[in-house]
Amino acid sequence: MKFSDLLRMSASNLLRRKLRTVLTVLGVLIGTASIVVMISLGLGLQKSSLEQIEQYGGLTTIDVYNWTDYYSSSETDTDALIDDEVVEAIGAIPHVEVASPILSVSVMAKFGGYEAWLTVCGMSQEALQSMDIEVSEGSLPTDSDTLEFFYGNQVITDFYKAKTYEYYWETGELPDVDLMNDSIFFIFDTDAYYNSQYDSSVSAPKKYLVPASGLMAGGVDEYKDNCYYVLADIDALRAQLKKVFKNSVIPGQPSTKSGKAYKDIYYEEVYVRVDDMNNVSEVMEEIQNMGYTASSNAEWMEQTQQQMSMIQLVLGGIGAVSLFVAAIGIANTMMMSIYERTKEIGIIKVLGCDLKDIRTMFLMEAGFIGFFGGLIGLVLSEIISLIINQVAGGASGGYYSGISYIPIWLVGVALVFAVLVGMLAGLFPALRAMRLSPLAAIRNE
Amino acid sequence: MDSSAQAVIQVKNLYKIFRVGEEKVRALNGVDLTIRRGEFCAIVGTSGSGKSTMLNMLAGLEKPTKGEVIVAGEHLERMSENELVRFRREKVGFIFQSFNLLQTMNAIENVALPLTFRGVDKKTREARAEKMLKLVGLSTHTKHRPTEMSGGQQQRVGVARALVLDPEIIFADEPTGNLDSRTSEEVLGLMRRVVQENNQTMVMVTHDRHLAGFADRIFHISDGKIVKIEEQQEYREDEK
Ligand SMILES: Nc1ncnc2c1ncn2[C@@H]1O[C@H](COP(=O)(O)OP(=O)(O)OP(=O)(O)O)[C@@H](O)[C@H]1O
Ligand SMILES: [Mg+2]
Repeated sequence: MKFSDLLRMSASNLLRRKLRTVLTVLGVLIGTASIVVMISLGLGLQKSSLEQIEQYGGLTTIDVYNWTDYYSSSETDTDALIDDEVVEAIGAIPHVEVASPILSVSVMAKFGGYEAWLTVCGMSQEALQSMDIEVSEGSLPTDSDTLEFFYGNQVITDFYKAKTYEYYWETGELPDVDLMNDSIFFIFDTDAYYNSQYDSSVSAPKKYLVPASGLMAGGVDEYKDNCYYVLADIDALRAQLKKVFKNSVIPGQPSTKSGKAYKDIYYEEVYVRVDDMNNVSEVMEEIQNMGYTASSNAEWMEQTQQQMSMIQLVLGGIGAVSLFVAAIGIANTMMMSIYERTKEIGIIKVLGCDLKDIRTMFLMEAGFIGFFGGLIGLVLSEIISLIINQVAGGASGGYYSGISYIPIWLVGVALVFAVLVGMLAGLFPALRAMRLSPLAAIRNE
Repeated sequence: MDSSAQAVIQVKNLYKIFRVGEEKVRALNGVDLTIRRGEFCAIVGTSGSGKSTMLNMLAGLEKPTKGEVIVAGEHLERMSENELVRFRREKVGFIFQSFNLLQTMNAIENVALPLTFRGVDKKTREARAEKMLKLVGLSTHTKHRPTEMSGGQQQRVGVARALVLDPEIIFADEPTGNLDSRTSEEVLGLMRRVVQENNQTMVMVTHDRHLAGFADRIFHISDGKIVKIEEQQEYREDEK
């Protein structure tokens, strides 16, 4: 038999008993909708928690530290320290996209009646570009030779009134400092500054004017990765420090036994970015084998993922129950239909309809029920999902990107699943129809 | 009929035994017969004598308990159900007592049904069905559903359906059982004419001694055995 004829016969059989078909489709519709909505809730939850992790430093970044404490032991073996060579070696590990040293120094900022202790992090251009930092004003630090600062959105809260030592979180008033345009002076030799405050014989260290390159987007209360740091281009920062400290030891850098500075600069931390979330642990292991400490959000994420798949399983299970009930409905409808059509099936068998075609015809009918139930069920799911997000989104103040999330693959999977469930439910009735005796047609009722 | 014509149906030592509880019913009790190509045969006998069982066996609708059934060169007793369906699709036309048209389809669709099972496309099969309906004198009723036709008209559709595939053999189990005698004769005359024109073989079961008179040969069956074979020398035009 031609496929189009099979299709036509199945369809006309369904249309013959409209009400029953509609009711059966309704069952599948509800089953599909409940399964899809449940899974979408799980997925929405997963998505928003991944987004949360993203805010805390991303899913593909690794921090590399060297826990060898070079303050206490001046015997430090410089081989174990992180220098440019080590950074290069890390950069050569497969899947690593960016590896940049982080040179961080503590500086004092002064403007008007305000002072602030700030941490300046120098990073490579590549790393700065890769961090997806949103810029509200100006730009990220450029790779020019003069030092420029890029301010995190919470840096402003570090400024306090020099006279009263009052911070923003005490007064609730933002310091009157325009980070972008005011001429702020910085003191790099903080030890000397400290000494000069209590010992009048020590002259105050030199102050430097550093222009701002830009500001990070976001309000004062908005937490983001790097929001309380001042970012700078590492080469410019290194040059500036060399200029300030000349031959003496830069604070935070190791020194030789005799207290002299090394020629090279060493770093406490390396910023590593990996090409894909799934390669993070592999790269981390590699770095740990090199003898350094590495940390990332991978573990946190893994835990979250596990929890999420658990939740999804439970939610999906709840939805599956109703689809199972719908499947029984399909089987029942098909069985009824076969009892009614016993004679008809007998006739077409006498007339020479292939057994295979009879089976296909019934499977197609069941598949149709599954397909239409699934299709309308998906439309319903989208509507429900929209309503949930509207209601819940309004309640939580837009914190979540959506409680219910239906990705395109879920649509496809749900539809295929509904059709399969339909056909599976129709399989037994279809085999039954295939085996019916043609003699049923001969007997007179 | 030319006695040298080849045998289309051959039955050898055929038994069919039904088991009802403890009891055994011998519906067919050792039947041998041969039907030649182009013959119009009738099977007559009292009720319960085994006529329908015989016919079903010839059409491959029932499995013999013992014996051989060779139709159009094929051993039916050795075939699987799949093969039997194929056999019917290719070789056999069947006319039922209760017409057995599909209620949801109109006359033309019903007649085209066997062609559908053969995978013939819609246009071709409907054209052929229409021609068939014209042949049985129903060209004005092509779009009627079975419920919108009289018994005689329905059986004409049934005849058209059985003949549309141009089968080698046509089986009919009391094709006129639900029709009055005048209509019966009309339908039977039609069948007889078409079958003879196409040199097809026809086997018909009937109660009616008079209607059996249309046949070339009449098999008398009683208690599952053929008790008499009546040969009619010529088709009596005058009785029509
Ligand atoms: N499926 C069956 N199970 C048990 N016994 C059966 C079955 N089919 C037929 N029989 C028996 O076989 C015998 C012959 O039946 P069959 O239907 O061939 O009779 P028939 O000659 O066609 O009768 P009628 O003229 O009334 O149609 C009967 O005794 C009947 O009871
Ligand atoms: Mg009978």
